[in-house]
Amino acid sequence: MASATEQSETDQVREIGHEEYDPIGTAILIGIYFLILVLLWLFMYFVEFLGNGPTVVGALLTVVGLA
Amino acid sequence: MEVTRMSSTASRTYLDQFPAEAKVIKAAFWSSFMALAIGGLLGLVQALHRTDVLRFIDPADYYTVLTAHGVLLAITFTIFFLVGIFTWAVTTSLDRGVVDIRFTWAWYIMMVVGTILVGVSILGGVVDAIPTYADVLFTFYAPLQAHPAFYVGLVLFVVGSWLAGADWFRTWWAWRKENPDERIPLPTFMALTTTLFWYLCTLGVALSILVFLLPWSLGIVDSVNPLLTRTLFWYFGHAVVYFWLMPAYMMWYIMLPKLSGGKLFSDPLARVVFVLFLLLSTPVGIHHQYLDPGIAEGYKFIAMTNTMFLLLPSLLTAFTVVASMEHGARQRGGTGYLGWLKALPWRDPVFTGMALAGLMFAAAGFSGMINAGMNINYLVHNSWWVVGHFHLTVGTAVALTFMAAAYWFIPQVTGKALWSRQLALGQVLLWFVGMTFMSNAMHRSGLFGMPRRTAEPQYQGFNFEPAVGTVGEINAQVALGAVLLTVALAMFLLNMVLTSFNDDSDSLPANTYAGTLSGPEDSPAVLDNLKLWTAIAVVLVIVGYTLPLASIVDSGGLFGPDISGFQLAIETDPALVLESVREVMP
Amino acid sequence: MNIHTYEKAWLVAAMVLIVGFIATITYGAVGPGIAMIDDDAGSIDPNEISDHERFGETGVEHLGGNEYEVNVVAQAWSYSPSEIEVPAGSEVTFYVTSRDVTHSFTVVGTNVNTMVVPGQISEMTVQFDEPGEYGILCNEYCGEGHHTMEGLLTVVPEDEFDLTELSTDAPREVEAGNETTINATVSNGMQDGLETTATLEIGEQQYERDVTIDGEGSAELTFDVDTDALGEGEHDWTLTVDDHEESGTLSVVSGTDGGDTNE
Ligand code: HEM
Ligand SMILES: [Cu+2]
Ligand SMILES: [Cu+2]
Repeated sequence: MASATEQSETDQVREIGHEEYDPIGTAILIGIYFLILVLLWLFMYFVEFLGNGPTVVGALLTVVGLA
Repeated sequence: MEVTRMSSTASRTYLDQFPAEAKVIKAAFWSSFMALAIGGLLGLVQALHRTDVLRFIDPADYYTVLTAHGVLLAITFTIFFLVGIFTWAVTTSLDRGVVDIRFTWAWYIMMVVGTILVGVSILGGVVDAIPTYADVLFTFYAPLQAHPAFYVGLVLFVVGSWLAGADWFRTWWAWRKENPDERIPLPTFMALTTTLFWYLCTLGVALSILVFLLPWSLGIVDSVNPLLTRTLFWYFGHAVVYFWLMPAYMMWYIMLPKLSGGKLFSDPLARVVFVLFLLLSTPVGIHHQYLDPGIAEGYKFIAMTNTMFLLLPSLLTAFTVVASMEHGARQRGGTGYLGWLKALPWRDPVFTGMALAGLMFAAAGFSGMINAGMNINYLVHNSWWVVGHFHLTVGTAVALTFMAAAYWFIPQVTGKALWSRQLALGQVLLWFVGMTFMSNAMHRSGLFGMPRRTAEPQYQGFNFEPAVGTVGEINAQVALGAVLLTVALAMFLLNMVLTSFNDDSDSLPANTYAGTLSGPEDSPAVLDNLKLWTAIAVVLVIVGYTLPLASIVDSGGLFGPDISGFQLAIETDPALVLESVREVMP
Repeated sequence: MNIHTYEKAWLVAAMVLIVGFIATITYGAVGPGIAMIDDDAGSIDPNEISDHERFGETGVEHLGGNEYEVNVVAQAWSYSPSEIEVPAGSEVTFYVTSRDVTHSFTVVGTNVNTMVVPGQISEMTVQFDEPGEYGILCNEYCGEGHHTMEGLLTVVPEDEFDLTELSTDAPREVEAGNETTINATVSNGMQDGLETTATLEIGEQQYERDVTIDGEGSAELTFDVDTDALGEGEHDWTLTVDDHEESGTLSVVSGTDGGDTNE
């Protein structure tokens, strides 16, 4: 099997195996993505959502005085 | 492991290898494109109508159009493409044809018949000569009631897809007999795990239609429990989004690395990802019902945590796929921390289309996290935010990947070279730009309360108040985006049609997919134990759904408290309208 | 299994993200106390809405203190009542159900939003701190007129809010010299007692009554009108209780013209 997997690529200038390959660029990109996700999440939840009141609250909690 | 039989496959197209299967795949692709063409055009009509840029249909007909758009794109376009791709994946990676090609044609024809039934019954909403009513949108929530033909058509379509799954399993079993000790090749592994959760989730919608909705629309039973059929729909309704997505994921895992000039970073992780989808796709459907009455908060919380963990396979995919692209770029001479990005084959429409689709999926991931966030659903539920979200997921991550893939696949299954690479490259870019406008504006609309599924969202008693910008400016962006998307769609179809009329070509690339840096031999064999994963998936579904379903049946009854069907047309039910009018008068 | 260090790190980061999301949502539930629509309000037979204790009569009800209940029936393509008024500083629980298909009850520009599924009752408790005006719309497709389904929610300043209702019963015509009365019924929908003044103005004359009504009670008021002092002719009158007003016209006619006719 594996007969259909790509083995040669014409534009290839070097062969990089698993051991010698560190996807540092990917790590950077995904790190940036992580930061964007965290910041946007905080913005959406605490500014857009909690700032958009009134909001449905539990009747029990409000009796306790959490308002 | 990495043995190549170059002689047998090099520069042989799929058509050369599997001429019989290529015909079915080609038919499935064209069915898919036709749905895309009609559905996309209707999308333009909707966008222009809602934003009041151009209104040439009656507002009542808007909902017929929207039903067709939803069904044709979310069900027909996606699933026809999927069955084509999966048939390619299974046969190519097992290097053997299907067991019986007549069976393959049979399920394809069954799906076509189902589609025609559904399509015609929807058309009845605007064509007087057709006596059917199916303005129920693609979610067909009871007690809105469609003509029985609509439900029958859906069932035929789904059963057709079940048989397609059976076809792939048969092919795999046949291969297994000849190769008892081999690992399941990755593309087949992906197709099979996806098929398994498709079986699991469609059980819900099949039950909903066959036991409740169809008998009810035929008058055999006279009541339904709307919350029950709705819950059964969403039992299927989340998993179906992964069903659309899995062929796109497959393309990103096995085509993108190859197109970038590299190898898949990790075969074992790809398997883990698909196993996670098999396990978690179904027991999360209640996240579409966060704002439904009749379901306890605890069940919603469980669905929410499950959903959040379902982010994991997608986040892992993001890493693996980008790392594979980076690998290719570096092999092609790319250097630097980010400089390698320039070494990617951006002139190749297949690559660029898929890469842009993946980028949009990253953005969609964010709005999806918000949608998953249980209590924040009060802000976004059923608003245009959600529509913005799924035009990034199914409308781009899936649709654009499929269109890009078609630039590679259509030559493979027809033996004809792509008519124009330039046009194709322009097309994928234009889709990306158009969707950026439309989807971003839709997301913003949702945040100030713009409802989805609404023909003319202009109200008598109040105005929308965007925090930033104006309603007019946002609408203009939606309309502009929609026009660009429609142009892109036309470019795609033109290219496909002209490709079909192209001369046969002998300079086509061979039918291959990406090799792996870390192959299946690095992954534990238990990953290939499909029985085990299926069993666990079933257990998770039972755990996730037994109690909510039991309590819905307990409180509302299996068939509900005498709830009959509604076909709420303005002209057909004057009594109802009268009653409504009476209610609003003080 | 052969997993690269970076990928392991990303796995950890992804888990942190997921746990962080779940933590935020849990905070929303226990901190600001956001509750999900659930099954507390139970189910209902849509055919029996009109006889239902809650939905037989829709509208705003006072529970005591600053707590109110609003019962709403959604149906194609309107809400009953379509206009809702509650005071600022109140805690309002909405109960919404549907007479026909699935709708939503969505207060535009807020986080008050629920599906309204036939057979089920949606219950939501909301605190309205500030006065304001909000649109209500249906965001679930419910038939061809779906886009016309709307309502209005007004939060009025606390001191402008009451659940007082005023109705009057007065003759239209009276013979000069005869005694006549203008009667009024004032009902108090609040749980607390109501102490106020009712004022009747007719012609140049003004009558005042102090009114004290128990919670959920009503009072009958009778104003004796001196027709001699009014003289013959048409006399407009206005009866005012807080900001509720009823008005009419009383004709005083000469003895031979006619008798004492009621409306
Ligand atoms: C030319 C490109 C497209 C345009 C202009 C377009 C436009 C729209 C618009 C304006 C709506 C919102 C209707 C409303 O909320 O009232 C909509 C809904 C929808 N679209 Fe698209 N769309 C396009 C392509 C797609 C594609 C490619 C897919 C999926 C593969 C898709 C799937 C959907 C679905 C599932 C809905 C929801 C239907 C419902 O609410 O029942 N659309 N589309
Ligand atoms: Cu979902
Ligand atoms: Cu509606």
